[in-house]
Amino acid sequence: MTEPTSPPETLCPSCGAGVPSGSRFCESCGAQVSDATADPVVPLTPPDDLGDAPTSAPTRGPAGALPDPPPDPGRRPCGSCGGEVGPDLYCLSCGTKAPSERDHFRETPATWVAGVCDKGVSKSRNEDAMALLAGEQPGSRAVLVVLDGVSNLTDSDVASLAGARAAREVLRTPLPAGMGTPQSRDAAVAKVFADAAAAANTAIIAITDPDEPNPASATFTVAVLEGNRISHANIGDSRCYWLPDEGEALQLTVDDSVAQAQIASGVAKEVAETGEFAHAITKWLGRDSQDFVPSVGSLEVTGPGWLLACSDGLWNYASAPEALKAQIAAAGPVDPERLALSLVAFANAAGGHDNITAALARVGPLPAPPPPPVQNAATPAPTPTPTPTATPPGPPTDVAGEGAPTDG
Amino acid sequence: MAEFTTAVFQNEFLPDGGTDVNAIVTISCKGAGTAGQSGSGDAGEIIIVDTSGSMGPATMAAAKDAAQAALSEIVDGTWFAVVAGADRAMLAYPPVTAGPALVQMNEQTRAEASAAIERFVGSGGTAISTWLDLAGQIFASVPQVTQRHALLLTDGENRERPGRLDEAINRATGYYQCDCRGAGTDWQVAEIRRIAQALLGTVDIIPRPAEMRAQFQEIMRASMARGVADAKLRVWTPQGAQVLFVRQVAPTLEDLTDRGVPVNPLTRDFPTGAWADESRDYHIGVRVAAKALGQEQLAARVQLALGENVVTQGLIKATWSNNSELTTRIDKQVAHYTGQTELAAAIQEGLAAKAAGDEATATTKLGRAVQLAAQTGNDEATAKLRKVVEVDNEAEGTVRLKRAVDKADEMALDTASTKTTRVRKDPPAGS
Repeated sequence: MTEPTSPPETLCPSCGAGVPSGSRFCESCGAQVSDATADPVVPLTPPDDLGDAPTSAPTRGPAGALPDPPPDPGRRPCGSCGGEVGPDLYCLSCGTKAPSERDHFRETPATWVAGVCDKGVSKSRNEDAMALLAGEQPGSRAVLVVLDGVSNLTDSDVASLAGARAAREVLRTPLPAGMGTPQSRDAAVAKVFADAAAAANTAIIAITDPDEPNPASATFTVAVLEGNRISHANIGDSRCYWLPDEGEALQLTVDDSVAQAQIASGVAKEVAETGEFAHAITKWLGRDSQDFVPSVGSLEVTGPGWLLACSDGLWNYASAPEALKAQIAAAGPVDPERLALSLVAFANAAGGHDNITAALARVGPLPAPPPPPVQNAATPAPTPTPTPTATPPGPPTDVAGEGAPTDG
Repeated sequence: MAEFTTAVFQNEFLPDGGTDVNAIVTISCKGAGTAGQSGSGDAGEIIIVDTSGSMGPATMAAAKDAAQAALSEIVDGTWFAVVAGADRAMLAYPPVTAGPALVQMNEQTRAEASAAIERFVGSGGTAISTWLDLAGQIFASVPQVTQRHALLLTDGENRERPGRLDEAINRATGYYQCDCRGAGTDWQVAEIRRIAQALLGTVDIIPRPAEMRAQFQEIMRASMARGVADAKLRVWTPQGAQVLFVRQVAPTLEDLTDRGVPVNPLTRDFPTGAWADESRDYHIGVRVAAKALGQEQLAARVQLALGENVVTQGLIKATWSNNSELTTRIDKQVAHYTGQTELAAAIQEGLAAKAAGDEATATTKLGRAVQLAAQTGNDEATAKLRKVVEVDNEAEGTVRLKRAVDKADEMALDTASTKTTRVRKDPPAGS
């Protein structure tokens, strides 16, 4: 299925290719389409006023459709010295190279949901992508989409972003609910996730040259939070985690990877994830994908915590859910964007060998705002203060029983 | 409207802990037009001719002829004057004693100036500081002249108390440009080169009077083709960085390092004078603080500024890498001009040692010069060196000083030492 595509309304300032309305990056070359933010494009409205719901999902009304997050404000102060960055993307004071918009971008669709997608240290470009949605009301509804473009394949960076946005489009409206038995609901949700993965797959293939011997490929991981319910889907080795303030942290998704297969056959997790083929994935999106139906699952949460969708650029340095929880504790009580920045900074400090994406949604009240830190936004040094869980809302999470992830 | 472009040639990769970045920045100008006609101000020309007693009849006749020929090259409408220089300077044309001391060129003023030159008689000594100062006063008398150029001919050594000439050079520096020529062999190359370098001009020897006319015409034609007045090379370096040197390395070698004027704490302007349709190469060395492997940073923004208007920019970068294949490569352009700079120094130091009677040093330095000239393909330097030394082995730089050397050949080698050759360029590494 495909989303309705609008005709190219602008031309990419970098390569001259046509850019669909609403795009912030050129799908040909990855350059930022600068005036897309200055000139918000009115979405095409079908004459029957169905809103911007995907036409291939007519049974789900546009009533609860979430808007795109506000545009990334673009050029930020220098990540190294805080100075102004020049039009040539180098700091006017210390000369540090600022990341391009593709190499480092952030989305903050609501106060309680944010993500950071960063090139990391070693890679030459950012092939990770994310696309987020959130209702204004904390805890209402959030969509976290993370794709990790497979490195060394042509245009993986362009493909992953196109795929993430296409999946987001499918998930703009609420997941099916109130459809009789839990089984029928689960089946309907699985169908929506399969549609989202298919949309991402179609978008990736659309930007792939038919003659390309190394067609772009990507992982796919999605977490949707609706009230207390987390629904998730996965292809490849990006991950979703549930990291509650109290109680046991969980990895929700199961990797489609050689490492995971080894773990299933009894190899220790630490050994498998650091082995030679640890990062070889067994399922992916792209033209040469054999199977792009995601594994899906869900979880009812009962207490406050963080829902995290991330790429392996982050979990390579903190695979165990408790290790991620420790990093969240180290970051202190901060808002989702600062927490995502802190996780990215942690991975970069640990080596940053891969692209890093961390997308977060908060369940329960936000932690108390931190004292005014006059630190650089791009490199927030994780201050090792224990998280003061001052307001424990609701009963402690009972994760031992029903909270188990249900990966299918 | 003049268009400027920039190309940067460098190896941006530094090893772990590396701090020094070298780059050749080529700036090219197209569509410069004609001096004084680009709308940014009028052009002024002053011809300064040595009329001291040392000028022999043949030299004086040639100088008159050459100055008159230069007048014909000055485009109508250009402001001009003629100065006769001896132990003091005289305004030979226009015949005024107060007010504007430049007139605009037309058929009548050209004929009058030509007649004034015809009346030159050689007498008195040589006090070049007074010539430079008078030229400055003449330019100042017509404020709308913003592009100022002088042509200075001398045939003898300056006879003033030490320091006086340098003071005059300082007063003229940054105010007008001056091309200098020495007639015969009784003048001091180092002295006249000091004037030319400070005043962003050229220096050369005119060994025979017959060559004077062509040289004057060429100088004046080149000056008239400089339609872009007073451009500055603007160099930004990051906080904490140090500019090691800024050198023009083509078409001639000029060290600009100490001539930077601060624009702000991170930016300095270096004078480049007026531009014609031409291309100049600058060798810039910057020392930056080492960063972690994989980090990239800007080592310098190199711009050309006309007034406050930046017309072109090149970026000099630094990227730290542990790949020694990347970090050990030396850019061809940088290597070439490093060799040319050493060549100029070897020639000048070798000739100075020879003049001082230190034959061992002279032989070593000039031998090294022969070697460098061959390595960098500077055929003009090779030809001129071979008139001064016998070459035993060019590749190894073993030479013997010639016993009988024409003084003019030695001076020609000296004045030409700063002329550089270019290498054929590969596509730029970045811009």
